[in-house]
Amino acid sequence: MTLLRAHSLRVGYAGRAILPPLDLAVDAGRSWALVGRNGSGKTTAMRTVLGLLPPIAGLVERAPGLRVGYVPQRATVDASVPGRVLDVVRAGLDHGWSFLDPRVPLRGRRAIRDALEATDALDLRRQPFARLSEGQKQRVLIARSLVAQPALMVLDEPTSALDPVSEDAIFTLLDRLRRERGLALIIASHQLSYVPRFATHAVLVDREHDLALAGTAAEILAAPAFHARYGAAAAALAAPTAQAADAREPADG
Amino acid sequence: MGEGLTVEQFFELWDLFRDAALTGAIAGALLGLLGVYVVLRRMVFLSAAVSQAAGCGVALAFYARLHLGATGLLADPTLGAAALTLIAVALIVRGGRQTPAARDGLLGVIWLLGAAGTLAIGTRIVQDLADIDALLFGTAVAVVPEDVTLVAATAAIIGALHLWAHRGFAAVSFDPDGARVRGLPARALDWTLFATLAIAVSVCTRVIGALPTFAFSVLPALAAVRLAPNVPRALILATILGALCGFGGYLLASLYDLPVGAAQTLLGVAVAASAVPIAWLLDRR
Repeated sequence: MTLLRAHSLRVGYAGRAILPPLDLAVDAGRSWALVGRNGSGKTTAMRTVLGLLPPIAGLVERAPGLRVGYVPQRATVDASVPGRVLDVVRAGLDHGWSFLDPRVPLRGRRAIRDALEATDALDLRRQPFARLSEGQKQRVLIARSLVAQPALMVLDEPTSALDPVSEDAIFTLLDRLRRERGLALIIASHQLSYVPRFATHAVLVDREHDLALAGTAAEILAAPAFHARYGAAAAALAAPTAQAADAREPADG
Repeated sequence: MGEGLTVEQFFELWDLFRDAALTGAIAGALLGLLGVYVVLRRMVFLSAAVSQAAGCGVALAFYARLHLGATGLLADPTLGAAALTLIAVALIVRGGRQTPAARDGLLGVIWLLGAAGTLAIGTRIVQDLADIDALLFGTAVAVVPEDVTLVAATAAIIGALHLWAHRGFAAVSFDPDGARVRGLPARALDWTLFATLAIAVSVCTRVIGALPTFAFSVLPALAAVRLAPNVPRALILATILGALCGFGGYLLASLYDLPVGAAQTLLGVAVAASAVPIAWLLDRR
């Protein structure tokens, strides 16, 4: 089932496109890697797909009633706002005008517990969010996004400033959620190592060279344009592994 | 410091002080509640600028009545304050979409225009200068029963709206992108939040003065966000602390013969400062 489709989508600012037209279809249970170097246009593309920026041209079509979860960069979450983990996750319950319904937090208790369990953050629920480690914060932000039971989750640099062990734990968690729940993922990251292991599809963007290439992860990893941009880093990447091949089969087929 | 009352005398004369003391408490509670958003959204200077603009609006209403022969709504100080406040807030909200530096500059210009405008107009309405002083720094004398009703009605309406929609206001304040992605009416919520702030500031500036209005919209919230474990409790605590500062400041002013606005502000500073060691002690537990 296709959740989101971009038709000849051009992204940019102030009426000026920064990338060539992009076509992609995000199906349930697929994991899309949005890769590119710093300043390549990843964030602009992601924000346009999310509806936070208007397209310069083209169209983003969503499945009717699609719920999208968004996990922003941790640095954008203000640590001075008081809140325990439970409060942060509870904040993700509302959608549309539901914030006017006082019963939503009570009805959402089960969903909050499920989201915290799914992200291994249940034991943290009483702790102040600001005092968590970066890896714990990322898990809690994923729980906040999960609590509204999205069909598509979009993550912006989920592993920036994480050590390699925490980084791997986050990608493993996301992959488990994808397989268990049939969740579709779009992950914007400048990290490449997760692409062969966890991504089913990828979009390579490069604003400087006017490039926006979408395809399966294997196609993008093999593309000359990818190797031209990443050089030795691309060569060092393993081919899509058996584990990744398994992971590419979503739970719901 | 002159001779003031004793606590016993204050409560013996309660009928005399009731309106002003209650108005201070209600205004403190309302602005304390809204102040949580002011402080956490780093809009402290917005509150200062808007209360100055409101003060200038009141001065303009006096000027219009005295020198332009205006009557009715055109000479109403509350409407004058509301008009300039709404203009200031609209400019600030639009300016907020630019860079933080541009927004800061705009706030500075509005504050300076408000302050200089009030002073300039004040020289043209010498016979009402006492009213302007009362407006800027707060006084007990100016509060009449209609003011209590006005502040209480404003607080009841805005308080009820914030109680009902606080999750929406929190979402657009602390996770604006997430709120938009989840389909919350982010722009309407943001405008409503600013509008309630503008109305509260304009009414309170008109009734209790610009100085305590600014103080109540910052100081109780500073203490509350340090002490409360989450935003809903910070909203409740700031409301309570604001009411205490409003009433307690009035009481202190009566006991020590101080200007009311100054006493309320100094009490607010003491509350905000005392939150630091209390928070530290709570953290160590």
